[in-house]
Amino acid sequence: MTPLLETRELGRAFGALQAVAGVNLAVQPMELRAVIGPNGAGKTTLFHLISGLLAPTSGRVIFRGDDVTALAAPARCRRGISRTFQITSIFPELSVLENVRVAVQLKAGDNFRLLGGRSVLEASEQRARDSLRLLGLIDRADELASTLPHGDQRLLEIAMAVAQEPELLLLDEPTQGLSPEDTVATVGVIRQVARERKLTIILVEHDMDVVFDLADRISVLHFGQLIAEGTAAEVRANADVQKAYLGGLD
Amino acid sequence: MIPSRLWALAALVALAVVPWVLARHQLSLLTDLLIAGLFAMSLDLIMGYTGMVSFGHAAYFGLGAYASALVLLHFAQPVPVALLAGALLAGAVAVPVGWFSTRATGIYFAMLTLAFAQFLYTVAYKWRDLTGGSDGIAGVPKTALFWGGPSLTSPHAFYFVVATCVVVSLFVCLAVVRSPFGRALQAIRENERRFTSLGRDPRPFKLVVFVIAAAFAGLAGALFAPFRGFASPEVMFWVFSGQGLMMVIMGGIGTLVGPILGAMLFILIQEVLSSYTEHWMIFTGVVFVLIVIFLPGGLVGTARRLGARA
Repeated sequence: MTPLLETRELGRAFGALQAVAGVNLAVQPMELRAVIGPNGAGKTTLFHLISGLLAPTSGRVIFRGDDVTALAAPARCRRGISRTFQITSIFPELSVLENVRVAVQLKAGDNFRLLGGRSVLEASEQRARDSLRLLGLIDRADELASTLPHGDQRLLEIAMAVAQEPELLLLDEPTQGLSPEDTVATVGVIRQVARERKLTIILVEHDMDVVFDLADRISVLHFGQLIAEGTAAEVRANADVQKAYLGGLD
Repeated sequence: MIPSRLWALAALVALAVVPWVLARHQLSLLTDLLIAGLFAMSLDLIMGYTGMVSFGHAAYFGLGAYASALVLLHFAQPVPVALLAGALLAGAVAVPVGWFSTRATGIYFAMLTLAFAQFLYTVAYKWRDLTGGSDGIAGVPKTALFWGGPSLTSPHAFYFVVATCVVVSLFVCLAVVRSPFGRALQAIRENERRFTSLGRDPRPFKLVVFVIAAAFAGLAGALFAPFRGFASPEVMFWVFSGQGLMMVIMGGIGTLVGPILGAMLFILIQEVLSSYTEHWMIFTGVVFVLIVIFLPGGLVGTARRLGARA
């Protein structure tokens, strides 16, 4: 089976700092892959390289068999890669519904309808409501996004990405800043979304426990390099991983 | 709460009836207020809806005024031709300016628009053969509404031309900000990086709205020239751009109607007080500060908040 996403010797340097180096990933369709690693391992940089917010200094990104390395973030999104951010990134003074609706509209096109465009608005609103229902936020559709509690804002951001009906969903620390109870709930929602929408998901996580029962496979980054990959059991048993996490480098 | 449709109807009726009860100089003042209102409203498109604070919006008002003045004076065309010329010239010049300026954001965007505006001001000031230099272009006639029609010299006739332009522009702009394009603009205002990662480059959106805003400012300027009978470099000076920002904030940023009212308040204070003191700006400043501190959201924003609570 050809992988949905591949990275080949992907690397990014910031001056002398090699944030990501020679990373080879292959993520299969409908796989739920977790990328874990201690702070500063290069997880978010890797996400920026895959989503196109950063250009790599070496290597390639292959999506659905096409080399997308040269494409900027908006073009990669339109090809089917949607993402969330580690620090919640929403449209704070728009309604919850409008946050998601705009996400649908931007990907679907017809954005330069300067007058009218009611059909565009209605079609995107329908899909936005579906996504809000899936994420359990439909009751808050008319509230301002900025008034939602932190946990719901994290879910809203996922709703925006899911509403775009991507093939590949990148979640950057979706449980960041959540209470233990909210973390459990969010993990449950992610699992449900993956199943219902048949999505391929790459999830960056700081916390190993979050991903062990969620991910099909786990890739471990350490100082920008991939040091292990496999199922939860394999990764847990890996000596290099134990050293990276327990060696006081966190 | 009174529905906004009723407000709109009341405003339209007022605009139609008021000229018949006002004295001549009052009607002239009202015409002035409406022109300034159109200018401030156009600024709100980029400032309030897209989050692009332009410090050079007066340049497009001025370009509209000059284009209109030249068309009316040298070609004796009907007023609508001059209005079209003003809007088109302002919009056309905004294309290259916007193309460069939208590469920057925030304070850098503001500084770029200011720099371009001062450049255009200098051109208007120095290009004597075309613009009359510091004297400007005087004796701009109020021609007719159409070829062979009667000229619009009566204050009432010209008032209705201005009022119609302002009302139609307001409705067009309201439709634009509610369209898919306008919704995208508001998302850009809220979070540009999120916008980018959702699949579109914000720059084309910013450029298009910048040009639209400039064209409406140009229309306001194109009304100004025949109404006052002149076009001069002062209307392109950065001070007027700054006043535009004040009008928008006083009236209510991101409301379109608010900036029209803000402009009216601003010019009214100026008109009333400047006959008593040359230091009228002090008073304007005090009112501005009071509104910013005690009426966040400006006149319209505050009224809506109170209305929603009631």
